[in-house]
Amino acid sequence: MLKQRTQQAFSYLYDNYAATLNGVILGIIQDPEVSGDVLQEVFVKVWRQIGTYDPSKGRLFTWMFNIARTTSIDMLRSREWKNSQRNHSLDDAHTDLPEKRGIGEEMGLRKMISGLREEHKVLVELNYFEGYTQEEISGMLNIPLGTVKTRMRAAIVQLRKQVQ
Amino acid sequence: MDIQAYIESGVIESYVLGIANEAEVAELQRLQQQHPEVADAIVACEQWLRNTADRYAAPVPLAGKDQLWAALQASEEQTTSPAIKPTLAPVRSLRPAGRYLAAASLILLAGSIALNIYFYSRYTHAQDQYLGLLTERGTLMADNKVYQTRLNTLQGQLQVLTDTALLKVPMPGATGREQQLATVYWNRQTKDVYLISNNLPAAPAGKQYQLWAIVDGKPVDAGVLGDCASLCQLKNIGAAQAFAITLEQAGGSPAPDLTQLQVMGKVPS
Repeated sequence: MLKQRTQQAFSYLYDNYAATLNGVILGIIQDPEVSGDVLQEVFVKVWRQIGTYDPSKGRLFTWMFNIARTTSIDMLRSREWKNSQRNHSLDDAHTDLPEKRGIGEEMGLRKMISGLREEHKVLVELNYFEGYTQEEISGMLNIPLGTVKTRMRAAIVQLRKQVQ
Repeated sequence: MDIQAYIESGVIESYVLGIANEAEVAELQRLQQQHPEVADAIVACEQWLRNTADRYAAPVPLAGKDQLWAALQASEEQTTSPAIKPTLAPVRSLRPAGRYLAAASLILLAGSIALNIYFYSRYTHAQDQYLGLLTERGTLMADNKVYQTRLNTLQGQLQVLTDTALLKVPMPGATGREQQLATVYWNRQTKDVYLISNNLPAAPAGKQYQLWAIVDGKPVDAGVLGDCASLCQLKNIGAAQAFAITLEQAGGSPAPDLTQLQVMGKVPS
């Protein structure tokens, strides 16, 4: 049904996954204004690539989840690049954020790591939410790659146990 | 290999979250084929991810659904036009908002060009019309001057004709030329002689009409008719009992050719 790309199929996808994917995107983007744009981009990609989705390789949600994550990280990277190129105008969206959002008040899926130890949290932040490879993290934190791998695995196992 | 340890190592979570590297993914897919418990663990982890993501779902605006459907339809049209696709140079993809802005600015540009062409043609058309009006105005001014001059002449002639000393001498056509008519206006005080050719045929080439004053039975030359418009002033005549017109050689003759007598009228006493 989904591969026929009818409005009914879209309606099903949207009703079942839009809010959840929005939480995934917001977890990475941390800006509700931008996450709406990314959600649209994710749906466009899903819609175009639905023909390449192979049910034998995993659930539909997992497939869309990964599209949402990589699209969000791409957006984050392009935004960081843009920010380094020019000064931000001090519009409301930027001046309001620190007051509205205290420390620990993360948005979307990022809330799930609030219970982790600090040394685990930073790895999940960098690896999952910001999309750095473990090799890059090893260089950034000046920790051997083997240690990064071990700690990351431990962090994820911990996460799986905590969040049920 | 200890499959249970492998399952509990966190590699399955890494894989599902999309942060496993290529070697880890390849190994996991191989083990998944060999060990059903690995496949089951992946399914369970996917379910966990779905549940966790659902818990941290962020509500989306209601209007977003229709907007998104419209956006999908729009992007669909872009991809399903294979005719123009091969000729397109690789372009930097824009965010949807940027795409609409780009499309809108292209439409605005096209509209602006069209308006420019339209207004330019209107401008040249108006300029042509203006030049036409200028020419017409010049013609009218010239005509106006001509009429003013003619009016002045006629006013002068009216002065002449209303002088109380003026005598009107109608000259009907001679025998055989009864339809012809000319009138002499003769001022007895100033001796001025004017002529109106009421009905004289145009003189043939090389010929001219000549006015004669009949003084005591003898014809006296009173001048030839030039191409005057209405009232022609001829030679002054002191006394006359009658006037007559003959057709003579151009320039006039010393004596009238009486066979060519056109009109004749007696001066009323």
